Parts: sequence; structure tokens; C-alpha cells
Amino acid sequence: MKKIILLIAAFVLTLTLSACGGSTDSWDSSSNITVYTRDTSSGTRAGFMGGIDFGDAAEDDSLLVDGFVIKDNTGILSSIVTDEYGIGYISLATLNDEVKGLSFDGVEPSVANVINNTYGLKRPFNYVTRALDDYENDTEKNLSLAFVAFMGTTDGADVITNQGAVPLDSSNTWDDIKADYPVCEQDNSGTVIRFGGSDSIQKIAEALSAAFAPKCGDFVPEHDHTGSSDGFKRTQGSEKDGDNYKHIGFASRPFKDSEAGADGTQGQLAWDAIVAIVNLNNELNSVTAQDLKNIYSGDVTTWDELLN
Amino acid sequence: MATFIKKIQSKLHLYTKNDAIDFFIKSFFLLSTIISASFIIIIIVFVTAEGIIPFVTDNDGVGPVNLWRFLTGTVWLEGTAFVSNLYGVGFIIVNTLYIAFLSLLVALPIGVLTALYIARIAPKKIAEVLRTIIELLASIPSIVYGLFGSGIILTFVYNLAKIFNVQSKGGNSVLATVLVLALMILPTITALSEVAIRSVNKDIVLGSLALGATKTQTNFKVVLTSAKSGIFTAAILGIGRALGEATAVSLVAGNARSGPSIGFFQITSTLTSTMLQGLKETTGIDYDIRFSVGIVLMVVILLTNLTLNFIKKKVGNVDVK
Repeated sequence: MKKIILLIAAFVLTLTLSACGGSTDSWDSSSNITVYTRDTSSGTRAGFMGGIDFGDAAEDDSLLVDGFVIKDNTGILSSIVTDEYGIGYISLATLNDEVKGLSFDGVEPSVANVINNTYGLKRPFNYVTRALDDYENDTEKNLSLAFVAFMGTTDGADVITNQGAVPLDSSNTWDDIKADYPVCEQDNSGTVIRFGGSDSIQKIAEALSAAFAPKCGDFVPEHDHTGSSDGFKRTQGSEKDGDNYKHIGFASRPFKDSEAGADGTQGQLAWDAIVAIVNLNNELNSVTAQDLKNIYSGDVTTWDELLN
Repeated sequence: MATFIKKIQSKLHLYTKNDAIDFFIKSFFLLSTIISASFIIIIIVFVTAEGIIPFVTDNDGVGPVNLWRFLTGTVWLEGTAFVSNLYGVGFIIVNTLYIAFLSLLVALPIGVLTALYIARIAPKKIAEVLRTIIELLASIPSIVYGLFGSGIILTFVYNLAKIFNVQSKGGNSVLATVLVLALMILPTITALSEVAIRSVNKDIVLGSLALGATKTQTNFKVVLTSAKSGIFTAAILGIGRALGEATAVSLVAGNARSGPSIGFFQITSTLTSTMLQGLKETTGIDYDIRFSVGIVLMVVILLTNLTLNFIKKKVGNVDVK
């Protein structure tokens, strides 16, 4: 009895030790791909699936390859550090040296390549305000204009970066330009500015308005984000005079031709860039949209099929 | 003031001072009981009210969820979220029970042996230190266990799988979940078993020793059998924690959307991790259905506890102080 226990103990200990040591054998391209994804409610997932022309899978798990693993942004990142045969996608802002960010259609994932518009796996975050002559009073108009100006400052850019998106180039701070917006000198605590549109931009918009309100007379931001198509509709479109009207709307995609607004009321505040990541040992360096779609739909299940 | 008190006294037939004290203490206890009991009822009513919405309403045009399909389904959601009503949790119920019992299987022997050591064998000073450590472990929040799990256990399981020539999914697996849960319920089981073992009647132990049994024989055959009712209680509380744990599990389970997952290196999911996944970012039927999962979870926990309590009664009780 004693001997058996000793033997078992020795076996377990050896196993434990060797498991801790990790293995050093080389990367095997014939292995199966382990697919990591975000939950269906994730904006990053919507952006990623849209970017690889697999938009239907944004909210439909049953279109994905069998046995996919659902994790959050950090979870995917830390799993890929361990899992040599995994692939996942994260927002560009969280990419680090512990994983390999794959080039998309030959362009390296970097903030510079996002801003110069060569990196493809991204979507624009746009804003639209009411037409200049369509505000109830001048305070609301000037506050909306001041907010748009704030989004383009380095202060606004910091807020956007903190929320994981890539802001456009900016050089002015809010202090440099605030003299142009005298509305911010007065007490605006009685004025409500209504934000709406894309729910993917909700967190960024909330952070921006929370950062800006104290700088601009404590106006009251009201956020009601219902989807990109409501961004234009409720500022300049069919619902602009309805109960749900907004001062500033957002869209996490380019505006359609039917959504062309009055001059100077539309623009971009940031890019949402997503990067496909693999383990550092992985031999793959670059993917195309089609490759990623094949992986996520299950048409390609081993790394061999991608490398050859 | 005095007349007011008199009035109350005569109304409530409280004539002496002690009667009054008794009455107030009694009312105070009743009040706290009502408060704590009503919270349970409020929670149950709230969860049930939200949870039956998917089955009884049209869900904004999606159509009601079929209850039988929901309880026996092997895929969490077929079709597009917010458009499809084909939810299923059957496989998740199996996963949850499977994982909870496996972690109990790991944690119970270790916990009981630790408790036996602390209560019967270890010198007083060491026992004191160990008891404090166990209590500390029991109070560590689950997210810390989860972070430990995703940092250490996932890597461990991933490498372990490699030794067996299995390609695990980054370590996210049944095994990782069981290990994290076993770690979490170990202190609960140890602490409660230790109390149970300590309260075994000294006379029984001395009697056993006087009959010539060795210390080891006494510990295993007399002390543990006498404490089995308390140890069973420990197991019941341990499995309750294992069934209800969400945060730590969702970090290491892999959140499988179909199943059930039986193999040790397969990804899995539990009722709680499924509820947690996306809860903060979803609306409509996809939100309400998580409350339905909550109802299922409450029923599962209730049934498990009833079953275990039934077994506990059958197993019986020996003279415990």
C-alpha cells in the first residue's frame, strides 16, 4: 500500500514539475487553430467581423467555427501569450510585445498606419451635429460647437486614447483655443446637451462629455446611444424635431450618401483599430481579410493551410 | 413621556419593567428577521419577474422562448442575437453540476485531511497559525482566485495537456475550472470540517484509545465517522460556493457555447459564467434570458442542497457535542 502511494506521489510530482517547466519543442504548423473571440455584445467584435467581410457573425455565434473560446479583451491577450496555436483580435490600443500583431493585407498594425489610412482593419468614429441654424438657442449651438472643437484638441485625444480608440492628429490644447469659445466662460448648468447615435462610441462620448463639462460651465450632458443610423437621423434627419432629437450624434461607420449633412457639421473624431494577434512563436506574420474570414468561419482549421 | 409609556404598557399588558424589555427585544428580533427574509423574497420575485419575460412575452417581435427547448438545449443560442429565440441551457446545467462535483471530489479529501491535522495532530501553536491561514484563504475575493487561475493555472493546464499530446485551448478547460474552484472551496471545507472534528465527544476518542486502537485508527475510524455529519455540511456549503461562483470561472472556463463538455481539456461554461458574459452590454431578450438562467441556477442549487441534505440525514449522526 505504502509503495503504491509513494509511486503515485512520485508520478504526480514529476508531472507537475514537467508541466511547470513548459516545453521547448518547436512550433508545429500542422496543429489546429484555436479561435478566440469576443462576446456577441462586443463593439470590437462588430468592428472586426465587419472589417473581414463577415458582418453576419458579429451577433451570431452559430456561424463561427466549432469550439471557439469566448474571452474579453484582456482574456484574449493573456490566452494568446500562452496558447501557441491561438488566434484572437483585440483593440489596437491594447497590443503589446508579448503577442504578435498580424499585418493586415500587408500593412503593419500601428497607430501611424491607422492615421495615414493604410491599415485596413478599422472603422471610423464620426460625429454629426445639428445644422447651424437649427438650434433652439445660441447657448446650445455654441456649446455643441465648443464640444466638437474639444474633440480635436490634445485633451480630447487623451480621453479618446484612454478609451482604446485612435484619435486623429491634434496639436492644440483646449487652453490654446478656449478663448474662441466664450460660451464656456458662463454658467451653463441649466443647459442640457443631448448626445446619441452609435452605441460603440457611447463610452468615448461619455468620457469626453464628462471631461469637457467642467471646462465649459458645467453643462448637463445627456447620453442616449441607440445605434449608428440614429446619429444622423436624430440631428439632421427625419427625427431631428422629434422627442428623441439630439444635438450631437455619432456613427461608427462612414456616413452614407443619404446622410450628407449641412456644410461643416460632420467629421471624424477617431479610428477604432482592431488587430489580429497570434503567439510570438507563430510563423505567420500577415493575413488578409479572406484568411481571417476563413479561420473564423471554420473553412481553414490548421495553420498549414495559411502558411502554404 | 411617562404617561405615554404607561399607555403603551396597559395596551400591551406589560406591567413590569422586564415584561417591557422582553417585548422590545422580541420585536427587534422579529424586525431583523422580517428584513432579512424579505430581501430573499424580493430577490426571488425580482429575478423571477425578469426571468419569465422571455417565455411569456413576444420579446419585441422575436417570439417567446420555448421552455422545454431552453431546458434541454445543447447550444446557447442558434442564430443571430436579438433576432433568434432559440436559447438552450441544458448542456450548461450538466456542465455546472459536473464541474461542481469534480471540484468537490478534489477539495473534500484534501480539506478533511487538513482539518484532521489541524484539529487532532498538529501541535497547538502550529494549529493556531494554520487556522488563521485557512480563515484568510476563505476571505480572499473570488476575482483574486480568478486572476491567479488565468495567470498560473491556465499555463499549467496548457503545458499539462501538451504532455498528454492534447492541444488545449490556451488552458481554458474543465480541468482549469475544477482546479480554481477546488482551490476556492478548500478553505470553506477545511474550516467547517475542523470545527466538526473538534466537537467530537472526547469520551468516544478516549474510549477508542482505551480499547487499544492506535491514534491513526482512532482518527480515521472514530473521529471522522463521528464528525461525518459536520463534514457533510462543509461539503454542502462548498458545493454551494462552487455552483454559484461566476467571476473566477468565466476567466478560465473558455465560455463554450455548446456542449456538454466532459473531457478534461475541453472548454466549458457554467450557468453563472454564461449569465455574466456580456451582461453589462446587452439589452432586450438577450438580457432577460440571463435572469431565466438565474432562475435555473437557483433551482439547481436548491435541488442539490435538498439532495445532499437528504443523504446527510440517511448517513446519520453520531454523538457530537
